Amino acid sequence: MNLLLVVLVPLVGAGLTGWISRFGRMKSAWMTGGLTLLSLACLAPSALAPFAGEVVVRRWPWIPEVGLDLAFRLDGLGLLFAIMILGIGLLVVLYARYYLPERDGLGRFYAYLLLFMGSMLGIVLSENLIQLLIFWEMTSLSSFLLISYAYRKQESRTGARMALTVTGLGGLAMLGGFLLLGEMAGSYELSVILTQGDAIRADPLYTPMLVLILLGAFTKSAQFPFHFWLPHAMAAPTPVSAYLHSATLVKAGVFLLARLFPVLSGTPEWTWLVIGTGLATLLIGAGIAFFKHDLKGLLAYSTISHLGLITLLFGLGTPLAAVAAVFHILNHATFKASLFMAAGIIDHECGTRDMRRINGLWKFMPYTATLAMVAAASMAGVPLFNGFLSKEMFFAETADFSSGFEYGWILPSLVGLAGVLAVAYSLRFIHDVFFNGDPIDLPKTPQEPPFWMKAPVAVLVAICLLVGVLPALTVAPLLKIVVAAVLQAPPPAFDLAIWHGFGLPVVMSLIALFGGVLVYTTRRPLFKLAERVEGQLLAKALHDWILAGLLHGSALATRWLDSGSLQRLVLTLVLSVLALGLVGFLDDGSPLTGPRAILPIDGVSLFMTAMLILVATATLVLHRRRLTALIVVGAMGLLVALIFVKFSAPDLALTQLSVEIVTIVLLLLALYFLPQHSPDESSWARRLRDGGVAILAGAGAGALTWSILTRPFDSISDYFLANSLPGGGGSNVVNVILVDFRGYDTLGEISVLALAGLGIHALLKDLRLPGLERDAEGRPWNWDLHPSIMAALTRLLLPLALLVSVFIFLRGHNQPGGGFIAGLITAVALIMQYLTNGVAWTHSRLSGNMYPLIGAGLLIATLAGLGSLVFGYPFLTSAYTHVHWPIVGDFELASAMIFDLGVYLVVVGATLLILIHLGLMHQASHPGPNQGEESL
Amino acid sequence: MPFDAAQLLPILPEITILVTASLVLLVDLYLDDQQKDLNHSLTLVGILIAIALTGAVGGGEARVFFDGNLVRDALSDLLKGSILVVSLLAFVYARPWLRDRGMLVGEFYVLGLFAVLGMLIMVSANSFLTLYLGLELQALTLYALVAFDRDSRKGAEAGMKYFVLGALGSGMLLYGISMIYGATGSIEFGPVAAAVAEQEISNKVLVFGIVFLVIGIGFKFGAVPFHMWVPDIYEGAPTPAVLILGSAPKIAAFALAIRMLVDGLESLHTDWQGMLVILAVLSMGLGNLVAIAQSNIKRMLAYSTISHVGFIFLGLLSGSQQGYASAMFYTIVYAVMSAGAFGILLILGRKGFDAERLEDLKGLNDRDSWYAAMMALIMFSMAGVPPTVGFMAKLLVLESVIRIDMVWLALVAVFFSIIGAFYYLRVVKFIYFDKPAEDAPALLTTGGVRFAMSVNGLALLVLGLFPAALLSLCQAAFA
Repeated sequence: MNLLLVVLVPLVGAGLTGWISRFGRMKSAWMTGGLTLLSLACLAPSALAPFAGEVVVRRWPWIPEVGLDLAFRLDGLGLLFAIMILGIGLLVVLYARYYLPERDGLGRFYAYLLLFMGSMLGIVLSENLIQLLIFWEMTSLSSFLLISYAYRKQESRTGARMALTVTGLGGLAMLGGFLLLGEMAGSYELSVILTQGDAIRADPLYTPMLVLILLGAFTKSAQFPFHFWLPHAMAAPTPVSAYLHSATLVKAGVFLLARLFPVLSGTPEWTWLVIGTGLATLLIGAGIAFFKHDLKGLLAYSTISHLGLITLLFGLGTPLAAVAAVFHILNHATFKASLFMAAGIIDHECGTRDMRRINGLWKFMPYTATLAMVAAASMAGVPLFNGFLSKEMFFAETADFSSGFEYGWILPSLVGLAGVLAVAYSLRFIHDVFFNGDPIDLPKTPQEPPFWMKAPVAVLVAICLLVGVLPALTVAPLLKIVVAAVLQAPPPAFDLAIWHGFGLPVVMSLIALFGGVLVYTTRRPLFKLAERVEGQLLAKALHDWILAGLLHGSALATRWLDSGSLQRLVLTLVLSVLALGLVGFLDDGSPLTGPRAILPIDGVSLFMTAMLILVATATLVLHRRRLTALIVVGAMGLLVALIFVKFSAPDLALTQLSVEIVTIVLLLLALYFLPQHSPDESSWARRLRDGGVAILAGAGAGALTWSILTRPFDSISDYFLANSLPGGGGSNVVNVILVDFRGYDTLGEISVLALAGLGIHALLKDLRLPGLERDAEGRPWNWDLHPSIMAALTRLLLPLALLVSVFIFLRGHNQPGGGFIAGLITAVALIMQYLTNGVAWTHSRLSGNMYPLIGAGLLIATLAGLGSLVFGYPFLTSAYTHVHWPIVGDFELASAMIFDLGVYLVVVGATLLILIHLGLMHQASHPGPNQGEESL
Repeated sequence: MPFDAAQLLPILPEITILVTASLVLLVDLYLDDQQKDLNHSLTLVGILIAIALTGAVGGGEARVFFDGNLVRDALSDLLKGSILVVSLLAFVYARPWLRDRGMLVGEFYVLGLFAVLGMLIMVSANSFLTLYLGLELQALTLYALVAFDRDSRKGAEAGMKYFVLGALGSGMLLYGISMIYGATGSIEFGPVAAAVAEQEISNKVLVFGIVFLVIGIGFKFGAVPFHMWVPDIYEGAPTPAVLILGSAPKIAAFALAIRMLVDGLESLHTDWQGMLVILAVLSMGLGNLVAIAQSNIKRMLAYSTISHVGFIFLGLLSGSQQGYASAMFYTIVYAVMSAGAFGILLILGRKGFDAERLEDLKGLNDRDSWYAAMMALIMFSMAGVPPTVGFMAKLLVLESVIRIDMVWLALVAVFFSIIGAFYYLRVVKFIYFDKPAEDAPALLTTGGVRFAMSVNGLALLVLGLFPAALLSLCQAAFA
């Protein structure tokens, strides 16, 4: 339980601290300090276990569905980091209380700090990789909050964003790596993964996995070429820099290297990637650090350089190198934290961080100067300080490693060069700031800071000294268990003495010391040189370049794909469908042609097919002349009716025929408002392209039809054919389906038809559109709207047509016909009167009010359905009987006919309603005295 | 077959929504302009009752009813609940916006409710026919909703485009369904699955049927290359319509995919897997890449949707129960995130001004720090940053892909989500780091909106920390 508390106390306490700051800034400082101590206390009960060689693992179920537990692990490595995080955290809390200005409420700052602390503890104590990753990203987020603490400043925002972008994205890459690693090991638990090093290294996916995980670690640890975010993050308040950029955030990356060391290390990929990156970072960081005039900038680049050093050590892959790496992590954390704090004091007291102006501070703040000088000496690797010990080990390990290679001397010499530079920038830090004449034009007069601001520095410097002088007594036991945890093996024998005897490492140290002094003395010409190349830093430029490229590419893709033209969209859609369809076509699982035998081609079918093709093509060719095109489309409808006849479906043919007529009338009415010709808009190339696409799509559809038609197929029509007469009492299957089998559907359909009529009425009511007054040649419309011969003829035709519709209606149940067709025929007959005699003439004889008709139809149909309920049958059950009429003879009377009557009435009403209102729209285009409802 | 009234029991949620919609339609006729809020209240009450009923009739063994046309199982229970909850949020968010513009009319609620009804039917469908009916009910109402602001030219254009392309998409789906029917002789998923298992891919018609089904699914989801309607419609439609269109329908689209591909055609998994891989990679790639360049936030969110669809497909194509469950988890989470994001855009609008450009989010933190925090949570969740639930969702689908040894696909997904994180973080930058425009209008919000948005945003965090409950429900749906 206590391990969970170690992490939870700061995370939960963050909110508490933010809240308590309402009651005064001291309260939140005490609260934060107290919580940190509490967390440390929670760690204490388990702290001794790693020394006894135990690994404490505690787990609670979290997402059992995917086998993820909330699991914490405390071993030597975790312990070292937890102590560093909490210990240095405590000092930072104290320091920040005095560093941040009085007007700052501190609540927000401490809340963010605790949030970060908790996330960081989560990383180092996680047993589970996924959980580790979550905490990893949480450190990115909380460090983002900390870096952007002074978010009113532009540089804070840039720095925070850059840090979040780089580390957050690295984290996502790491997610990929972790997923691979988990898959290889079969578990995300470190206990399992750490035992499977050999299997994982042999896995074919080892390299991508390694690269992804290293991306995560390197971005976090600011390794070249991702190092550029760290100096920008220096915009954070100095306590944050002291914490994040010495002991914690950037150490998370090297922590991960240490954590996965037994699994990942030892392969050539690991060696070259990690050593190469580490070396490049070491040199570049040290080089730039020397030229930075900003105090914190110098420290930032030196941090980068030291992280490179640690990475390089892990890259060497030997147990002793791991010892050196771990040792240097600890040493670097102590001296760098104290240096940042000292830099903060100087900044605080002088009001600037520019080393060209801060000089001779020794006279103003001797105590701080002493502390800073000790820490800087440790950073330079001067004997008797802790930095010297690990640096010595580092030199020894690189020399040892490279002795086996032909050009092995390159590595130690480059490392030596880095050592020279490290001494040079440390010397610059000491000499420029504390000596070197008098301060130049400082905003404030520096003086010693308050005691509690120096105290944290003093504690850290004391540790530097203690470790430096008495390494074996102080850190050796801790180091031993840490190394055991890193290697997952007994630690190698190592000696932490200050003097190992005269050898290559000592020579390298001496060269570094004297070379550093030499470089420092020649600094002025070097600075001039640096000024000239400044601003051309490779990585930052690369970062910006990639971003710009991404934006550019994205904009390009937008312009190319996202034009907003509907034609373009449809074209893409059709092409994509064709492409995917081709996938199905090429699938060689089965042939396109099915097993069914192909029927012989008869003359009628051939003729109709040819006609269909001809008519379709004609429509295409003539579509600009709209009236002609409409006639051709009508011919298409008639052809379809003929096809129905050919397949012995007279009923469908009749329906098709009457629907076709009504549709054409409808289209004619609409055509009235359109120009007679449509303009020729698209270019030839475009038409060719569209033609090609159309042919392809048509061919595709044709192939599909072919594949379906050549396969046997059980139609449901057999059921209806068999049951039509016995079940529905009618031999016209189509009609029986409409009024009986699918009576419900028909009821729904006529309701929809009625509603559609009403809807169209609502839309068109009182709408007056100006139609064209002249045709394309400039001729006015014919003055004779209702030619009398035609009017007389259609008046004669009306009773005949109505009689036909009654006939069709009555025979519907057994012969081709029925309410629907009859309704259409009636509607056509009446529409003819409107067309030839005009609205006024017709309305004086026939009411234009269609609502009663529609309502009556719906009512009759519904009542017919409900009627069967009265007799105890389900809704719309049909009954039939035969009656003998005098002249007609035997006649079958089915209850379904009542229903059919309802259908008939609705069809007549709705069709007329729609057509009349379409016709009434365009009176304005009819000049002359008859204006008004007269014309149609 | 005699009708059994007990069959109405499992569709009580659907009936409730239908009754509510009809009630609003009727009541609206008798309301003055000042009383239009009643529509809103009625709608919310109806949805709440439907949620309660979903819980009441849910649970237990899967049951097929209405002659095999509908089914009630663990999947439908969870998806129905999610659709209703997300729609509830959407209606709450939309009200101040509509009110401010004098558009708080019954039609919006009626159309919205019918869309919800369509989604519920899709979720419960056990045959291609029911599924298609639900889909069309949803689609037709959404076409109308897109063109809801009749005075807006952009809205009308968007509605037209949506209609034309949507009709094409539905046509493709129907084409596929008819081919499946031709090959198997049934439209119910059970018999189709049996017939398919027997024939395997010996039948070319079946293969073509699957191709067209996948095209239809891709279209309804908005997956590349059938995504073209998404950005234009998101940009052109009024924001409340986008809110309804962009959230819950994704859940329904998921049901569409699961019901057709898994319930009906799982034995042909290898055939549709390949196509889904193509769609997933294209969606993730294009969605994330193009989103970066968008300066219109609605367009950006549209491309973000497209990329999320790619991730959902990752779970679907894995063909394992765990994969389906993670895709389901992702879909539900996405719907919640999307509702929140558009909800924030609604808050930022004002009569005559819609929050559309990224710049309109500038300085949200100074204007209202709580909404800023919620929006930041939503953006982090969309980017997949832990501890928000977006991370969990990504993790789960990636894991399901890795489990079927398609490591390269997982790596591609990770790569594109890295690119994708850019533009979400940019939104956060605008919210926190930039100063609000001088003439920025006051936020358009009410207590109810604030409450709903808090629930919405915090849910992303809580679900991220404790995903077990929702995940176990998702897994139970495929157990």
